[in-house]
Amino acid sequence: MTESVDTLSWLDRVEATLNRYHEGLVREVAGRLVKPRNHWPVEELIARSLETIGNTPVLDRRVAELPLASRQTLALIGHSRQPVWALGNLIEMVMALGHENGLGAVLDLLNAGLLFPVLDTFWTNSKVKLATFEHWLGVVGSTTLLVFSPPEIAQRAIGVEFDLPELAVETLSPTTVLEADGAEFLLRLGVLWQRVAESPLRRTQTGGLFKRDVDRVSQDALLNAPPPDALVTVPDLGFWILSLGEVEGVIREQDGEVRAGALPTSWQNGLWSALQSMTANLFRLRVWSPIDGWRGGEEVIGNPFPSAYLLLLMLLAKLEKDRWSDCATLESWLHAHHPFWTGESVRPSQRKPWVETFLLGLAYPLRLVQAARSLEGNTLVRLSPLGRWVLGLGGVPPLPPQFPKTLMVQPNLEIIAYRQGLTPQLIARLTRFASWKTLGAACQLQLEPETVYRALEQGESFDSLARALEQHGTRATPQPVLDSLRTWANKRERITVYPSAALLEFTTPADLNEAITRGLPVVRLSETLALVANEEQIDFRHFRLAGTRDYGLPPERCVEVEEDGVTLIVDVVRSDLMLETELPRFAELIDRNVATGKRRYRLTPASLARARAEGFTLSLLETWFQQRTGDAATPAARLLMQGGQLPSPSLRRHLVLHVEHVEIADGLMQWPPSRERIAERLGPTALSIAEEHLNELILRLGELGIRLRPDAIDSPSADRGS
Amino acid sequence: MPLDSSRSSTSGRLPVKMHRRVCLVQTEDALLAEEILARKKLAQDIVGRLTDRVLLIRPGRVEAVLAELQKMGHTPSLKQGEKETRG
Repeated sequence: MTESVDTLSWLDRVEATLNRYHEGLVREVAGRLVKPRNHWPVEELIARSLETIGNTPVLDRRVAELPLASRQTLALIGHSRQPVWALGNLIEMVMALGHENGLGAVLDLLNAGLLFPVLDTFWTNSKVKLATFEHWLGVVGSTTLLVFSPPEIAQRAIGVEFDLPELAVETLSPTTVLEADGAEFLLRLGVLWQRVAESPLRRTQTGGLFKRDVDRVSQDALLNAPPPDALVTVPDLGFWILSLGEVEGVIREQDGEVRAGALPTSWQNGLWSALQSMTANLFRLRVWSPIDGWRGGEEVIGNPFPSAYLLLLMLLAKLEKDRWSDCATLESWLHAHHPFWTGESVRPSQRKPWVETFLLGLAYPLRLVQAARSLEGNTLVRLSPLGRWVLGLGGVPPLPPQFPKTLMVQPNLEIIAYRQGLTPQLIARLTRFASWKTLGAACQLQLEPETVYRALEQGESFDSLARALEQHGTRATPQPVLDSLRTWANKRERITVYPSAALLEFTTPADLNEAITRGLPVVRLSETLALVANEEQIDFRHFRLAGTRDYGLPPERCVEVEEDGVTLIVDVVRSDLMLETELPRFAELIDRNVATGKRRYRLTPASLARARAEGFTLSLLETWFQQRTGDAATPAARLLMQGGQLPSPSLRRHLVLHVEHVEIADGLMQWPPSRERIAERLGPTALSIAEEHLNELILRLGELGIRLRPDAIDSPSADRGS
Repeated sequence: MPLDSSRSSTSGRLPVKMHRRVCLVQTEDALLAEEILARKKLAQDIVGRLTDRVLLIRPGRVEAVLAELQKMGHTPSLKQGEKETRG
């Protein structure tokens, strides 16, 4: 099933599906569902089809017009409370009911507009529209073909008779009737949620789990321990819970990982609602079977168990009140009528008994069936009142007695939860803020910082947690527990992160005060700055925007550098908060000119030394200059930034030889005897000479007939004061 | 800041400069802000200090800041408009 099935309403799904039909098919389907008297446009036909689905009397007439096999198919979907079924499973059930043409019954429903194909990505991504249902059947995909019928339709077919036998066994009425409390799988789903919340499971490309995670699930003591009232052993119980958790939404796949989802909303509506939801989802499980257990996470095409589960429940529904059946009898009927087991190619391993595992291992904990031991020692089963209600065959059974005071909170942060008082709502609550340690008649939980933080993150507070423990505690919550909860809650409230806030910068403190007086939802940060957690909360009627800066966009150039390379002029109108907070880290504010809207900062050795000490680097300075001025950092800025890290410059005494013409300087630089005595050329006619080479240079120049003026030679000596 | 020289009246519209999509960390006290600023790994992601209790985060670095705060043993709450979500 695609994700959209879960997120759209069923009527939205119908509309989306009809929009993928070719015009001819829409006319054919709407022709039977709506029976239009005129030639309406396709859009109108689709709209009227949706109206018809909401029109109960018309819908009842359309269902009554169907052949018996199709009505029974629709009724089975209605009894299951699961709108989405594998096409193959529907065909199997129709054939098990004695109809030879199972596919024909399903096609009749599709043509009647009472059943719809779940169109996979082949159809939703292509421009090709569905012209016939045979076309849809012919496109071989990698997943099972699914169909759906909205509850509004399928529920109308409930009441259609099935030609099923009453498979009662002759026995004396058993003295003790066993009925589960229905909490077992809820508790284990709670454990699963905690395990995955602690550390996600990683998916392989084939849909399985990595070995480490397979070991985690298969070796988890709480997930795999037999229930205290277990009547049979369920293979791979931990993986059964994992599979159930996936279809219930307790865990969800995201980016190749299985993570904790939301605990089901059905739990908030009480035990019956939670059990009904899990029962409906039984028919969606395709990676676990009562014979093989977990199938490595890979969906097995042609899985006969969903149809077999429903047929078993419908067989039990045929039993008269106070009569019982046994698993072997039911299994025999199934093997004789279900097309999967009547086929000749079925392997012996697939003929192994499994009905007992399903009825006593899954349906019994789900409270769908009651069990009893016959005087002969056989295990007997029949539908429970809840099972009849879930299948749409009986009224809502009375809820079990309520014991709201069911928790014993101990000073060592342990909680004992007595099972008879656990409701789905309370299990969900406990799952969020305490860690399940043991499951049994009395379950043990532990309050831990991590579990409390998790609950706080999900909207709980110290008050709500304390209230919950008070409400359900058999005695007052011990003070050490309240102290721990308060400490953990306070710690969390110490830091608040606003990932996408809006800041309002007021002209004056008086304006900010005025905004607060008007009752605007702002939080004061400073004299002129106020925070709004979400821009949508701002009522712009109160404000005149003098400027807007979006921090999702790259930083804006709003700084000019003066010629000295260290004075920065900020254009306040274009500047932003980042600039306002960045600049004081490495520059000093000199002045602000309100009239011109300019602000001047200066880079100083002290300001940059302070920035360096706080981790500011030359590369950050370079980036800042590029982003804010559009140019590289000035040499002066680099000098100040690198200051103490540069090699120390040396102070040396040199003589400067001035010549009359550039050509003379060029000649001296080129002629080797003179070049070797010249330290460097300082300018076109100025050459630097080290003092120790002076006499040698005088000699060489003398060879050329050039004589230095004595004053030029004497002055250095005079400077030295020798 | 010279947003507008014309004055607002108590019944009129207030001139403001709006900073959109700003990422901030607000601490309970100034000391905690100092502690965060002193964390070397956070220094690169914190643009600066807006007030003694409010730190401005570099755009796009909120996840990294949250992760580092959690490593420090804090349990920051994440506020996105009306709803409060897990940090």
